[in-house]
Amino acid sequence: MSDEIEVRKMKDSDVGQVIDMMHRLKRLNQEFDPTFQVSDPPVEEVRESLNEAIRQEKKHILLVADAGGKAVGIVKADIHDRIYYLPRQDARITEFYVMPEFRRRMLGRKLISELYRELKKRNITMVSAEFPSSNLIALGFYRGLGYRNIVSVYGRHLEES
Amino acid sequence: MLDQEKEGKESETQRTDRFKKLALRYSRHFKGKINTIPKVPIRELNDFSIWYTPGVAAVSLEIARERDLSFELTGRWNSAAILTDGTRVLGLGNVGPEAAMAVMEGKALIFNYLGAVNAIPIPVRVSDRDQFISVAQSLEPSFGGFNLEDIESPKCFYIQEKLQQSLTIPAWHDDQLGTACITLAGVINSLRVVGKKISDSRIVLMGSGAANIATARLIIAAGAKAGNILMVDSNGVIDSERKDLDSMMINNPWKYELALSTNSERVKGEAVNAFRGSDVVLSASRQGPGTIKEEWVSSMNRDAIVFALANPVPEIWPRQATDAGAAVVATGRSDFPNQINNSLVFPGVFRGALDARATGVSIDIMLAASMQIADFVREPGPEKIVPTMEEWELYPSVASAVASRASELGMARKHGSRESFYKSAHELIEENRNMYRRMLEEKYIKNLPGGGENE
Repeated sequence: MSDEIEVRKMKDSDVGQVIDMMHRLKRLNQEFDPTFQVSDPPVEEVRESLNEAIRQEKKHILLVADAGGKAVGIVKADIHDRIYYLPRQDARITEFYVMPEFRRRMLGRKLISELYRELKKRNITMVSAEFPSSNLIALGFYRGLGYRNIVSVYGRHLEES
Repeated sequence: MLDQEKEGKESETQRTDRFKKLALRYSRHFKGKINTIPKVPIRELNDFSIWYTPGVAAVSLEIARERDLSFELTGRWNSAAILTDGTRVLGLGNVGPEAAMAVMEGKALIFNYLGAVNAIPIPVRVSDRDQFISVAQSLEPSFGGFNLEDIESPKCFYIQEKLQQSLTIPAWHDDQLGTACITLAGVINSLRVVGKKISDSRIVLMGSGAANIATARLIIAAGAKAGNILMVDSNGVIDSERKDLDSMMINNPWKYELALSTNSERVKGEAVNAFRGSDVVLSASRQGPGTIKEEWVSSMNRDAIVFALANPVPEIWPRQATDAGAAVVATGRSDFPNQINNSLVFPGVFRGALDARATGVSIDIMLAASMQIADFVREPGPEKIVPTMEEWELYPSVASAVASRASELGMARKHGSRESFYKSAHELIEENRNMYRRMLEEKYIKNLPGGGENE
């Protein structure tokens, strides 16, 4: 079924559907860990942030899975400079979501493959993914793709004085 | 509300209160509902040397040599454990294992009276679902089957599935599987009455708790098209784009699976949207009346089938449903026609599973049970879609269907023809009933205190 689905660069006209998926992704993270309590930011703020990311092609890669003109999956990667390490650039996947009914069709892997293709064009040879430690679905997905834990970020809420 | 039904509701409340008072009074008197008594002759104390040591050592050694001989040389073949953690007892919620015992004893009594099964109530105190599984696994050598009872959803799905995967005896969760079986039997006969096919029917399941999730899975196995099924929960019609789907995936993957496969029309919004153009509504939802509105039933297809199964007050009164166009109405109550009651299922299912020394239960076995219950009704009519508990020969007939299906599926330790399974189940149940009657007549079972008037 994923054969009928095209993975392509995100366009401004996709943003409405992508915002819905971003909200779903954040709520999913909240399910795993209440530290990621969803704030429901104003739609316009999210829209502007996504439009800006689409414009800044050198800093971001945004792809969507397109099923008959409807975005049903997204991947967003941010390009980071690693001035102290080699390779000097790293693509960090920060947003990744596939609509429930399009799962189990290898669409997630297709999105990642297309991302790799884009990274190859840019000669970026390092990729990483950022997700809540307790998101076991993401953990299983990236492990299945050969990723391992390379950075840990610990956090806590400060008590109110 | 119709006057007579208003009166009916009041009398139902009074009736329930009366039974509650009697149950408390009689429980104080009898101090428990079941007993264990020897079933072998004890002619003199010397016979203990046969039934106990030293003679019994030979039996132990035989079983040690071949474990499955425990089904032939001990009472394991006819013993079922009623296991509960007391987290969802009746409509009472999490009352704990001690309080659950009173209910489990009642279940054991029905198991024995209708199915001649030696059922042992075992409410357990456990901290989580995996500990429950561990306790159940430890008990496996003592029983021929487990009846899981009154465990909250969705924990009950996890426990039943994990246990059935790991055990070599049936793990039956009656709130799911028993309810699903009798509901499907009712649906089969309702569709026969109105002349519709399950494969063409649009079916709404209102309420998405354990019972309706299991029912949805079973009716799909019976031939309903998943896309023609619409599940409804407290947030409305479930569709694959609903915003709470990821939460459902994590917290209730069984419901999530149905959310993905059902509702191909992508109906959204309130329950009324699901009713429109549907053929069957199976409601296991909030008590009524008024949970299902008459105009919702009117918006269904011609010859609508409505199961309003909330107890004690159905989601819509039967008369209201028929006035609104329903051709067949079922409830969970005994004072209306078509009572959808698990007690029509589990005694026969366990009788059959135990007779075949079954290694498990499966959806195929459930289908066999449902078909047999439906076929037991010789001439289905709008007010006769399922048998009643008085028709006791239902139980050996269900038992034979279950035992022979388990045998065909390679899920039995003991094989035989359907006729032979029917004969043995019939004999066992009849003998048990006769024995019980004799014990009553001979006053080995004492009369109820105060004359025992229920009215």
